[in-house]
Amino acid sequence: MLRMTMTSLWARKRRLLGTSVAVAIGVAFLTGTLVLGDTLSANFRDLFNDVSANTDVVVRSSAVVEAPGATDANRGLIDESIIDTVRKVDGVADAEGQVVGYGSLYGRDGEAIGGNGPPRQAGSWITSPALNPYKLVEGRAPELADEVVINRGAAKSGGLHLGDATVVQTPEPVDVTIVGIATFGDTDGLGQTTWTAFTLRSAQDAVMNQPGKVSSILVTAADGVSSAELRDRIAAVVPANTEAITGKALADERIDDIAKTFLNLLRTFLVVFALIALAVATLSINNTFAITIAQRTRELALLRAVGASRRQVRGAVTLEALAIGGVSGLVGLAGGLAIAGLLKGLFDAFGGALPAGGMDIQPRSLAVGLAAGLIVTLLAAQAPARRASGIAPVAALRDADIEPSRPSRRRYVSATVLLAAGLALTLSGASSGQGALIGAGSIVLVVGALAVAPIVVGPVVRVFAIVLRRTPNGSGRLAEENARRHPRRTAATATALVIGVAVVSLFTVFAASMKSTIEDDIAGDFDADLAVNTAAFGGNQLSLRIVDELRSATGVGDVIGLGNSPALVDGKSTMVTAVDTNSVLSAIRLDVRDGSLADVGTDGVAISESDAKDNHRSIGSTLTMAFSDGISQQVTVRAVYADSALAGSMLVPRAMWVDHVTQPTYRTVFVNAADGTSASSLRAAIEPIALRFGGDVQDRAQYIAAATNGLDMLLGIVYVLLALAIVIALLGIGNTLSLAVHERRREIGLLRAVGQTRRQTRAVLRLESMIVSSFGTALGLVLGGFLGWMLVIAVSTGDTSLAVPVVRLAIVAVLGALAGVLAARRPARRAARVAILDAIAAP
Amino acid sequence: MEGMTTTTENPQIHVGASPSHAAARVEHATKVYGVGDAGVRALDDVSMTIPTGRLIAIMGPSGSGKSTLLHCMAGLDTLSTGTVRIGDADLATLNDRELTVLRRERVGFVFQAFNLVPTLTARENITLPYTLGGRQPDEAWLAQIVRTVGLHDRLGHRPSELSGGQQQRVAVARALATKPAIVFGDEPTGNLDSRAGAEILGLFRRAVDDFGQTVVMVTHDPVAASYADAVVFLADGRVVDQLDDPTAASVLERMKAFGG
Repeated sequence: MLRMTMTSLWARKRRLLGTSVAVAIGVAFLTGTLVLGDTLSANFRDLFNDVSANTDVVVRSSAVVEAPGATDANRGLIDESIIDTVRKVDGVADAEGQVVGYGSLYGRDGEAIGGNGPPRQAGSWITSPALNPYKLVEGRAPELADEVVINRGAAKSGGLHLGDATVVQTPEPVDVTIVGIATFGDTDGLGQTTWTAFTLRSAQDAVMNQPGKVSSILVTAADGVSSAELRDRIAAVVPANTEAITGKALADERIDDIAKTFLNLLRTFLVVFALIALAVATLSINNTFAITIAQRTRELALLRAVGASRRQVRGAVTLEALAIGGVSGLVGLAGGLAIAGLLKGLFDAFGGALPAGGMDIQPRSLAVGLAAGLIVTLLAAQAPARRASGIAPVAALRDADIEPSRPSRRRYVSATVLLAAGLALTLSGASSGQGALIGAGSIVLVVGALAVAPIVVGPVVRVFAIVLRRTPNGSGRLAEENARRHPRRTAATATALVIGVAVVSLFTVFAASMKSTIEDDIAGDFDADLAVNTAAFGGNQLSLRIVDELRSATGVGDVIGLGNSPALVDGKSTMVTAVDTNSVLSAIRLDVRDGSLADVGTDGVAISESDAKDNHRSIGSTLTMAFSDGISQQVTVRAVYADSALAGSMLVPRAMWVDHVTQPTYRTVFVNAADGTSASSLRAAIEPIALRFGGDVQDRAQYIAAATNGLDMLLGIVYVLLALAIVIALLGIGNTLSLAVHERRREIGLLRAVGQTRRQTRAVLRLESMIVSSFGTALGLVLGGFLGWMLVIAVSTGDTSLAVPVVRLAIVAVLGALAGVLAARRPARRAARVAILDAIAAP
Repeated sequence: MEGMTTTTENPQIHVGASPSHAAARVEHATKVYGVGDAGVRALDDVSMTIPTGRLIAIMGPSGSGKSTLLHCMAGLDTLSTGTVRIGDADLATLNDRELTVLRRERVGFVFQAFNLVPTLTARENITLPYTLGGRQPDEAWLAQIVRTVGLHDRLGHRPSELSGGQQQRVAVARALATKPAIVFGDEPTGNLDSRAGAEILGLFRRAVDDFGQTVVMVTHDPVAASYADAVVFLADGRVVDQLDDPTAASVLERMKAFGG
């Protein structure tokens, strides 16, 4: 049986190609994702281990405000006198204080180096080569206040050389001269991070503006003293609010951070798309199997007639699936490694904040990929195998069609039940805001859509037919009939596309709604003439001094700076907005519902209605608030305002914040014109100042565009990832059509004989493909649009509105239909090549 | 039936009056499959003229080249050497597209089986050549044909809902629908019982007698051949004989003579 199965497979290898490609792509995506995840993890691990390779113990402040993505920056500083304390500890070979903070280095072209993403750090040059992970490769260490060493990667991308003068925003613009260029180990830098190192003294002044303080103390142990032992000895002598940890522990902590804040998200994100691709592949393969089984009814019946048992027939089909799954799984593995390498290269090329390093290929990734390929094919072959084993031997003697062409009563019932259940789940999830319910409902709805597709395909195609019948030459009519002759097959082919299109339209609707919500919110809240703003992530930060400079510019009225910092509020990490609460209303329109902003003073805060509701706070509630220096302040709620995108959940007075965070900076500074100053002359007056401080001058529209930029980028990434699922679906459509061409050779020959031109033959196939893809796209749009709507309702905080991006959805619809033309290319060519006489003579 | 001219060496068949009234003309037609010594001569220097308004039967044993001749005359296959003309058109000079248009507009077909597109109704199958050409059918003519073949109450049915005989009648109606220069039948009754076969042959006869249609059919059935105005016998790719006003008995007799 094995031999026979393999021979039979080989004979049909061309027709199986499409199937195998679908599986291989899915497996490749999954494997690639896993390998990429492992590789990034390993690269980060190596990197962080390198940083603290020679550091046995690190002493630092124990005050920290946990916030996603910004842990180190939110740790307090410690007094440099502790260095001497540490040096006296028995077993310490060397100890040196270090300052690390924010500092954006400017290149030769006057632009900040680094673009979006990688951290921009400035701090102190560690004089002990053993403790310093950076090594000088050119020049010397800084000696004077304005001298700095920069990492080689920053020097390269900024076009900077020894002796060059440039600027570092810390966030004050600091003029510096480059006296040294360093490598991080042997590489150009710590990933893509830019690093500017001053002398310790100068770093304390220019970077931190905190003389006498250091970020941490790095310690090396004397020979024969273990890190752990030394850590314990040091911990015993350092003051309260200070902690000692081993270098290894610090590395692990950083690895953990990056995993939690970035890698796990990335991996989950990519795996979800890989699973979508695999689901699409499963549907596509299932369809191919069903068709090939139908086409081989006679062959299989003959096997049964000559004595093969049902079990053997079923076994043969299952064996086929295993062989296809295995082969395409292996191809997929190779593809996956290529994808991982390619993505890694892309990340590197685009200057993402990811470290360089080799690939990390875990046996687990390969095993999971291969298993996925096998499972997917086996799963897909289940129903067709069962159907194959049910073929009666007598079918060998007649032209039996084992593909049921009319939907069964059971299908009507199950489709109705599934759709109703899915609707109920998503609707209740949406109204109660429970994402899990919507997720479960979505899956039920997708299955329901797959079940209902064969039922609705007939009527839908009949609607298409209104247009199709107008095509000249009758091509549309022939295509319509072809699409309708196996409703189940047409539906199954189209459903592969449904999933991809549904997710695309879900994200499109959701993103558009979010975007319009943000736009509405900001448009409603933004009440200043202009804003000096910074990029949403990875960009520059604004020095507090910019406010004074702006105020002294001619024609400038109110200037309101807005800073964001994480704070521990009643022990819970919360993002707060620091602002001058007395003048905030001249920049941001706030609907104060209770209390008054004028009452906030220096020991009060204002909170949003959501915060009040979620945390059961009201006017007069007392809160404990701590920033990164760890000092707790008792504050009182003095005002409650309606939710505002610009104000966020909590407004704190500037004075409460500025002395308690490590490097206080503004994210946005709002500027109003003095009476009689026009918007354009205001812009002209403040533009030079903004430029010097590394900010962009934006009016309301520009500010809104900048705020929604990230959403568009995210949507773009989602589109790219979904393209794969759509390509798999198109391969499926192409494959089904190829099988159909094979099946209809006689008919094609006849049509050609009575006067159909090759061009018309191709057109019929293309139209049929368009019908299938349009049906899939339409179903996907309806499904995705609905789920997007539900999601919008679920996350809505009251003023979120559904936006239907008609143009984008129309583009999706048109692209979906056109994709059908693309999918039909190969089968249409094959159909046009059918030799008339051979086809007519065929049995 | 007027006489036909032949030469003993290489019979030149003129079935009918004069070459100027020819619906189709074949000159020195040769068809070789394969190359060199392995080549098989399916047609070996065949020449004949098909006059308009006649029903001609082509007979011969298996492998005599009768089907190849029919396919080449109908523009479904090409000759190795020699010419085929349908009216004024020399098929050898036509490209694939022009041949397709010729088949659509100037030629009608009835095959032995699988004549109809299974997804289309009987009426749609009949008007298929018009539809493919993007033209409107001549409704009056169509009505007349449908009446003749007796299918007026079956027009909305699909092939699977029709009997074998009815399917062939639809095929005959389609072949006649465009008033082609010539209708070709390739064993058109081969798959039918004798009663249904007689109906089809009767239809061909009426098309010739009532509408002046030209029909050429390949058959191996002496009874079918007896409906023709003349029978041409092929053997080993050559025309070996012809018979005017055949009867089943006279055809059978000739066939015996050629070992058919």
